Amino acid sequence: MDAIVKTSKLNNDEIFGLMKQFITEVIGEEFVEEMDITPQSSFTKDLEMDSIEIVSFSEKIKAHFGEQIDFTGWLSAMDLDQLINLNLEMIINYIQECQSSK
Amino acid sequence: MSRFLFVVPPFFGHISPTLSIGSSLIARGHQVKWLGITPLDSKHIPEGGEFIYPEADLVEYQEEISRILKRQDDGPSCSGPEVMKLALEETYVPFARIMMKGLSNFVDDWKPDVIVNDCITFAGALCAKLKGIPSVTTTPVPPDVMGDTANSAPKIFEWQQQLIKALQEELGLYEEEIYIHSNKLNLVFTSQAFAGFEETPAHMKFVGPVKGRPNHAAFDWERLAAAKTPKVFVSLGTLLVDIRKAFFQKLIDAFAEEPVTIIAATNPDIFEQWPDNFIVNGFVPQSELMPHMDAVICHGGFNTVNDTFTNGLPMLITPIAYDHFHTAKLIVSAGCGISIRYKRLKIEDLKNSVFELLENPVYRHAALKIKETFIAAGGNDKAVQLLEDFAEAEQLLEKQN
Repeated sequence: MDAIVKTSKLNNDEIFGLMKQFITEVIGEEFVEEMDITPQSSFTKDLEMDSIEIVSFSEKIKAHFGEQIDFTGWLSAMDLDQLINLNLEMIINYIQECQSSK
Repeated sequence: MSRFLFVVPPFFGHISPTLSIGSSLIARGHQVKWLGITPLDSKHIPEGGEFIYPEADLVEYQEEISRILKRQDDGPSCSGPEVMKLALEETYVPFARIMMKGLSNFVDDWKPDVIVNDCITFAGALCAKLKGIPSVTTTPVPPDVMGDTANSAPKIFEWQQQLIKALQEELGLYEEEIYIHSNKLNLVFTSQAFAGFEETPAHMKFVGPVKGRPNHAAFDWERLAAAKTPKVFVSLGTLLVDIRKAFFQKLIDAFAEEPVTIIAATNPDIFEQWPDNFIVNGFVPQSELMPHMDAVICHGGFNTVNDTFTNGLPMLITPIAYDHFHTAKLIVSAGCGISIRYKRLKIEDLKNSVFELLENPVYRHAALKIKETFIAAGGNDKAVQLLEDFAEAEQLLEKQN
């Protein structure tokens, strides 16, 4: 369940699992089955997320972690190359950072 | 009477509306020419007009032009941010650089009263600025497709500005302002309501779709008349060559056994045999065909989008790349169609969506509302009037100075 009540910090594997779950919900199980999602998977290139999908992914992150993680704000500060190279590991690290700064 | 020079890119979707307006301008007695960096078959040029291909000034760029054109095939497999790079950095800016010499020479020779540049063909407006010629811009797609980057993605905005300023400086324009579009008149070929704008700058005029360009494509009208099932028009536009086969295979899988007639605009050579309920032609008289259709499937090429809603038809849009996603959003928010991203397109959804569009009247009603806004925007007559008034005012201004 997506709930803001979650207070315990997640480790990298748990965050990765959660990201995979969000991605599956956003793009659909049958498309995820054809992909080998790893922390190195690039967001736009490997997962082929478009802007609408990224928005729904962001909403899921927000619903789960609450205001402590400003995912869209973080994305909008990026330049084109950063966006092109964005992979799941970077997102996991970002969430880790936000968790530990709280 | 005035001389209008349309400066166009080597993409037919962008050229097409200028051919329609040009045809109306010629009918009013104006002189009209087009200039581009690849030749255009004379069958597309309205009678009395001329297409200028400054071959001698383009000799040194032939390899680069072919490379850039070939590169467009990568668009569908690129991510959003990669497409932005491909478009601006790898296509529009180099095209402007390539075009400048031939354009500049021709302008000195023919001395147009007004230069009309297509929105991605920066050389037109820049040349006009450099030579002090009044300029107008034509925008075939709903504007602002990259979004409000100044606020939502400042680094991307900065990148755009830098690229354009570097181009301007290279061409001898050392001012801070951006001159790739006219700041006096920008003709947009959709309606303000459909484009989703509440307020727009005064120079931006939504004239709606324009029509009347020459199209002599033959068509088997008898076969169409004999078809008794609902008719669905399918187009993938003139680009996107590489994915054509995969796209139409999905359509065959979805509709070969269904009670619909598919009218497809694509080269029939991609398959040895088509199902009996498919009428396939490489070139079609699209605007004449449209009134006979019941629904349309397309990736979001803007001329097909305009033809569809001009006829009040519902659309299944399958956005692939470029501005298609923005157009898809507008269609969904207007309620006149269904959007399924091409990369996530399942046969079952394709089939269900088309029958939903054919059977549920809400989509057609919304499409008819868009049709009304298109008609109210004024089309060719409005565009011609704006251009004539602009040319007259600018000529008056010149006399006074």
